[in-house]
Amino acid sequence: MKRILVATLALIAAATTAVRAQSLDDLNIQFHGYATEGFLYTTNNNIFTTSSSDGSPAWTEAVLNISAQPTPKLRVAIQGRYFLLGNFGNAITLDYAMADYKADDRFGVRFGKVKTPSGLFNETQDIDPSYLWSLLPQSVYPITSRNSLLSHYGGVAYGTIKLAPGFGKLEYRGWGGERVLGADDGYFVSQKESGLNLPNGLSGVTYGAALHWITPLRGLMIGASDGKDNQWNSAVTAGGGALSGTEVIKPLNTPSFFGRYEKDKLMVAGEFSRLPVNGSINFTGLPAEPIRLDDHSWYAMASYKVTDKLTAGVYDSQLVDHQAALGPARYSKDWAISGRYDFNQYLYAKAEQHFIEGTNQSYDTALNPGGLKPNTKLTILKVGVSF
Amino acid sequence: MHKRFLIFLSVAAAMFFVSQAHAQLIIANPSVKASEASKGDLKDIFTGASSSLGGSHVTPVLLKSGAANDEFLAAYIGKSDAAFMASWRSLVFSGQATMPKSFDSDAAVVEYVAKTPGAIGYIGKGSPHEGTKVLAGK
Repeated sequence: MKRILVATLALIAAATTAVRAQSLDDLNIQFHGYATEGFLYTTNNNIFTTSSSDGSPAWTEAVLNISAQPTPKLRVAIQGRYFLLGNFGNAITLDYAMADYKADDRFGVRFGKVKTPSGLFNETQDIDPSYLWSLLPQSVYPITSRNSLLSHYGGVAYGTIKLAPGFGKLEYRGWGGERVLGADDGYFVSQKESGLNLPNGLSGVTYGAALHWITPLRGLMIGASDGKDNQWNSAVTAGGGALSGTEVIKPLNTPSFFGRYEKDKLMVAGEFSRLPVNGSINFTGLPAEPIRLDDHSWYAMASYKVTDKLTAGVYDSQLVDHQAALGPARYSKDWAISGRYDFNQYLYAKAEQHFIEGTNQSYDTALNPGGLKPNTKLTILKVGVSF
Repeated sequence: MHKRFLIFLSVAAAMFFVSQAHAQLIIANPSVKASEASKGDLKDIFTGASSSLGGSHVTPVLLKSGAANDEFLAAYIGKSDAAFMASWRSLVFSGQATMPKSFDSDAAVVEYVAKTPGAIGYIGKGSPHEGTKVLAGK
């Protein structure tokens, strides 16, 4: 809350300084937003903490964005979101609140609460109107951790460097600040079910960099990013407060390699990322409980614009935890077939079919009392409106 | 017979060249230093990938709809109006840009571009464009 206040004040201060003696029209104040409603149905397991095997409409999002551009080089913007997915969210959160100064194409900087520009889709993973899929590949962009991974408190420096003729362009981004995994993040689902409570979630210093090479082959971009997080510590309780201690996550390194090729109506893309986590839960007087996972995740996707209004696509998304025991909980393999129809520039509908093998997803055991089945088919229908 | 064939060839060639000529004028505020812009320059500017042209900071200005708008998007951006606006919304919602100003008519675009340093827009080829400079293709 304090951070939000600081970010908002920074925003207002920046705007006020820059806009002296300007009219409201000069500020170019804009309001944009979108809202989506999703329906999930699974043949076996209840997924994403919804009752999806009965058919669940518990997936609602609404976003309001307010921005102003007091000078050609300075923008200020704030974006809030209502998010509900099963037992996740049902709250309004701040996507970002920032001031952006772009000196020229070669250098710009944002500060406040800002989106983290890692990977191929991290900055845009929440923007449902901007892509075909109902769900982005969950191996790399888990929706149950989206609010935590989307943005951080701090800053981003960015720019584009033109390379020698015939070598294309290089887009760079560097970021730093503090990341907060909220107490309701998907990462904590299994811990909560085993009676652990982290009232403040986890937080710590984060920094990283990304490079996108816009190659001379028109439509082809190749990139890499690497995010680093210092050690995270958080208070943890168990047994209704009878036990108290600390959860520690040792420094993280999350590399990602990706590429995208677009030509006319065709788009193909792929990404590989790794998330090695090493930590422990420490209660006074008890031996430390280790936390270890090593997720290797990748996806490959392709889409085709069949008509101006209809787009279709397919992806294969896979995740394997190399620290997990052999069995369905070690992996998740998800084939998805997707379609999107744009009625006009404001209203669209999506339909998506997933064929999921393995149970390394955000399942909670309380909603699957009979145990998890190794395979699930997931059908998603979604409508959205944006302005 | 030869004469008819030559007439046919001439008409066909004329139709070909007319279809290749752009039906829009690219106009800019006189403060913009550049006097020409390539298709790639314009695509970068109007998709938010670049905000400079020939050393000047530039800001794109759009038409809301109409034939000139559709033809410009087809010729320079390669997207339908819906897809074009969706890509701008993606930039707005990810915090990377502000939606460009858009206007209902060529006259309104010309008026805004003429009075706004760095503004760059497009209008139908026959429209008056007093107070702006026309950028040539390169």
